[in-house]
Amino acid sequence: MNEDVVICRCEEVTEGEVRRAIREGAGSLTALARHTRAGMGLCQGKTCHCLLARLLAEETGINLAEARPRTARPPVRPVPLGAWAQHE
Amino acid sequence: MANGGPVAQVDVAVVGAGPAGLSAAIEAASAGSAVALIDENLWAGGQLPKQIHQFFGSRAHRAGERGYHIAQRLAAEAVSLPNLEWLPDTVAYGIFPGLRLGLAHSGVARELAARSVILCTGASEKSVAFPGWTLPGVMGAGALQTLVNLHRVLPGRRVLMLGAGNVGLIVSYQLLQAGASVVAVVEPAACVSGYEVHAAKLRRLGVPLLLRSEVAEVRGKESVESAVVRSRDVLGDVAAHSEREFAVDLVCLAVGLSPLAELAWMAGCEFAYEPRLGGHFPQHGEDLQTTVPGLYVAGDLAGVEEASIAMEQGKLAAISAVRSLGFAGAGTSHRRAAAAARLAELRGGEREFSGDAPEATGVMLPGSMADEVRLSRGPVAMIDCTECIPCNPCEAACKRKAISIGRPVTNLPVLDADACTGCGRCISRCPGLAIVVVDMSVPGDDALVSVAHELLPRPRPGEPVAAVDAEGNVLARGDVLKVRIGHAHTPVVTVRIPRDVAMRVRGIVHRRVIT
Repeated sequence: MNEDVVICRCEEVTEGEVRRAIREGAGSLTALARHTRAGMGLCQGKTCHCLLARLLAEETGINLAEARPRTARPPVRPVPLGAWAQHE
Repeated sequence: MANGGPVAQVDVAVVGAGPAGLSAAIEAASAGSAVALIDENLWAGGQLPKQIHQFFGSRAHRAGERGYHIAQRLAAEAVSLPNLEWLPDTVAYGIFPGLRLGLAHSGVARELAARSVILCTGASEKSVAFPGWTLPGVMGAGALQTLVNLHRVLPGRRVLMLGAGNVGLIVSYQLLQAGASVVAVVEPAACVSGYEVHAAKLRRLGVPLLLRSEVAEVRGKESVESAVVRSRDVLGDVAAHSEREFAVDLVCLAVGLSPLAELAWMAGCEFAYEPRLGGHFPQHGEDLQTTVPGLYVAGDLAGVEEASIAMEQGKLAAISAVRSLGFAGAGTSHRRAAAAARLAELRGGEREFSGDAPEATGVMLPGSMADEVRLSRGPVAMIDCTECIPCNPCEAACKRKAISIGRPVTNLPVLDADACTGCGRCISRCPGLAIVVVDMSVPGDDALVSVAHELLPRPRPGEPVAAVDAEGNVLARGDVLKVRIGHAHTPVVTVRIPRDVAMRVRGIVHRRVIT
């Protein structure tokens, strides 16, 4: 394992932290996000979700098909808060 | 996140204006429905405007057209349709019950109600996490294409490419065209997964293709300074002493794409999982409808394949949508069947190789080269095409019908050397640049070879070049006799070279592209 390699660049979560979180019970991408914030940064997991899924599969034996992404909530892209301040 | 005020309503809302979305919007608007075409960028085309190579496929698939030209044509057609509203610089930030879309444009949020929605949001790049992957200078191939082909910025001069699928091979070639050098293409598998003709273009330019190899580490203080590559043996174990360090300033990751499916997840679609299609993608039938009624998908979102397939899927999804809304007119069934047939043709072909070695070694197949008698009579084409992929522009290029492919279009081309006059029209029409014309009939010790050459600086008559074989080995010095511009702005260079190497020449190198 490459303990110090960053997996989630946006939130600077390392491989070591991800593996530890999984071993402590975070068994899904949702749980990993809550535990470590991996996937909750600016790109919302676009860059790291495959890497996280692979680590999950390695550590827990689930197959990749079961490593579903976190619940998608709006907005799926950054939108300035003021966008909703104006009515159209 | 609804806000007050009147909500616009359309028949068909298309999210994403890449090849799938443009095709869907054009099809839906042409059927008479009110269409909104939405894209987060200021321009339409998706990944197409970044593609400067000629596309494969058949004439029906717009083969032989450069990607950016396809984008221009589709975008022009889309905006010309009166019942199509083009919404650039608009983010679809969410999808809500009743197929309502939340849109944000110029900092203002609004809602769009649609009777049907076609999601064509494409895919995003995957990553590989090796030590040093977060250093500046490590980037995805798609990002690199955007920088180089859209913004005209070359972010590095010495590049290591990770991934030998079509994206890695194509972007490597584009980097050479942009003036960078590609020190190696690294591929973990035992063979390239992209088209052999793309790999061949790199081989004859001397780019090493390192199979069964991976990036162990990227080193550098503030940015990329070197990359360490190692290989694995057939059992998958790291091969001892196989580490090599390359001095590079750019490492490009072309390791696959993953559908951008947030809106589909949000809408409650059921998903399937297929690694070969990029991972999770919305389940859909042949009509491209998802498990949510009125919600369709097309393009890479429906499973990562390629642009030609995206275009056909866009049409099919739109046809399904307009049919269910009651807009179908005479001819819709025929259009649907034609699109489905083209789709099947694009997916057909086993990608088999007709020979023992999968690489193009410059050894011609019977049926693709002339015998000595014909060679001595005058110029004749030589076709170095050994892989069954859907592609047939060479057949249409020849006015003498000397090249045959027939159906399916995955057949290898067969050359009738006696019908061939060596006119060279086919040279610039082969998207894989796999055709040369050789003239062994000139008096003396020389012969003439004509090849397509897509690198700058453009050679000029009288200049010396290096004639190379399929592996990029320099065979001899060649002197440029003439340069003409062929199809799709492709320069075709005729060089004079010694007779004894003429049959092995597959390209020219104007200056060494690898240091």
